[in-house]
Amino acid sequence: MIGTNAKWIFSLLLLAMSSLPTSTQQAATVTISVKNHRFQPAQIQAPARVPIELHVKNLDPTPMEFESVSLRVEKVVAGNSEGIIRLRPLDPGTYNFFDDFNQATNGTLVIK
Amino acid sequence: MPYVRCARAIVFVAPFLVATGFGARAQDNPAFYRDVETKYIFGFTEGSGIGLEGEKEFSLETVARMGKRDGRYWASETKLEYEFTPNQYVQFELGPLVSTHVIKDVTDMDNRNQLAMSGFFGEVRYLLLDRGPSSPLAVTLSAEPEWHRIDETSGARVKNFGLELKVNADLELIKNRLYLGSNLLYEPEGTHDPDGIGAGWEKESTGGISGALSYRVLPSVFVGAELWYLRHYEGAWFNTFTGDAFFLGPTAYVQLGRKVFMTAAWNVQIHGRDVDEPGSTLNLSEFSRQRGKLKLAVEF
Repeated sequence: MIGTNAKWIFSLLLLAMSSLPTSTQQAATVTISVKNHRFQPAQIQAPARVPIELHVKNLDPTPMEFESVSLRVEKVVAGNSEGIIRLRPLDPGTYNFFDDFNQATNGTLVIK
Repeated sequence: MPYVRCARAIVFVAPFLVATGFGARAQDNPAFYRDVETKYIFGFTEGSGIGLEGEKEFSLETVARMGKRDGRYWASETKLEYEFTPNQYVQFELGPLVSTHVIKDVTDMDNRNQLAMSGFFGEVRYLLLDRGPSSPLAVTLSAEPEWHRIDETSGARVKNFGLELKVNADLELIKNRLYLGSNLLYEPEGTHDPDGIGAGWEKESTGGISGALSYRVLPSVFVGAELWYLRHYEGAWFNTFTGDAFFLGPTAYVQLGRKVFMTAAWNVQIHGRDVDEPGSTLNLSEFSRQRGKLKLAVEF
């Protein structure tokens, strides 16, 4: 019984470790700006299955919070400054994000 | 049992009262039904969410168990929980535990009326399978070691260590609206000489599986139902079966503000077996008649 259970738990751990991010691929860099509480451009694109470095330039004098549940990130970017967000490799599709301090400010990241 | 009715009323009326106000406010938002973190929308069943990278949270999470075969029984445990997500794959939680016990005239238990710091817990959650545009399924593994100085059931002083291992899975049935959640549970624990007779470590284990549905009735409100099946054993490796129980009940989740939410659940034991009581239709030795959960969390 103990042996069977131990094997089962070990298999689960092995499965978990196999999906750990091991990529050393070059990150794709994408830049987006926020001005007058609007993302510019409102839609950005990036390649699939490579790490992404997203540069968020806040051109407004007030802070913004870049947030996305599907991208699993949130980051406050102070006014008139730039924040860098590192995203895991993503599958193709559309991912939504918004400014949590001004929720009418929405954008999308299209992964191709 | 007026305290049970009172607790049940608080758990379920409060979320719906606030829901009407906050739900109306959310309707004004152009982005109605955003993506949602599923961790807390299923009640006792935990969703796969691990939070957002950079997010921190403080919460009060109380689980209360009510009713044994006779007498008056109330036991609760509150986690004073700090949670943080350092990257897009892992989440950590930790904090002290506070328990209350109100026990009177329950067979095989001492009468008790106490509030105590009862232990400490930690939890690590790892996102095994991420939900994405082409995959509605997400799976997270969690491990939660716990130390207790107060027995969860009887309230007696003990030295107890446990490890709750879970697989948390959820499936998005309708985009951002309807979710199906399920947990697999394995929880071995050991208590040192619980009866004070020099018996050494007494080991036990609990296994379980749950299924839950949660529907977003308003942008800030989920309601649903869950079913749990739990089995209890002597021994750390499911050695000797002692009994099982089915719990069924409603769940609710309300986003109270931009960074504040609450979740509530109420489970009633609908069927159970106790090996020591052949013919029993409920298992009130290892489990309670009812259990409730209330969590209030603030993110920052």
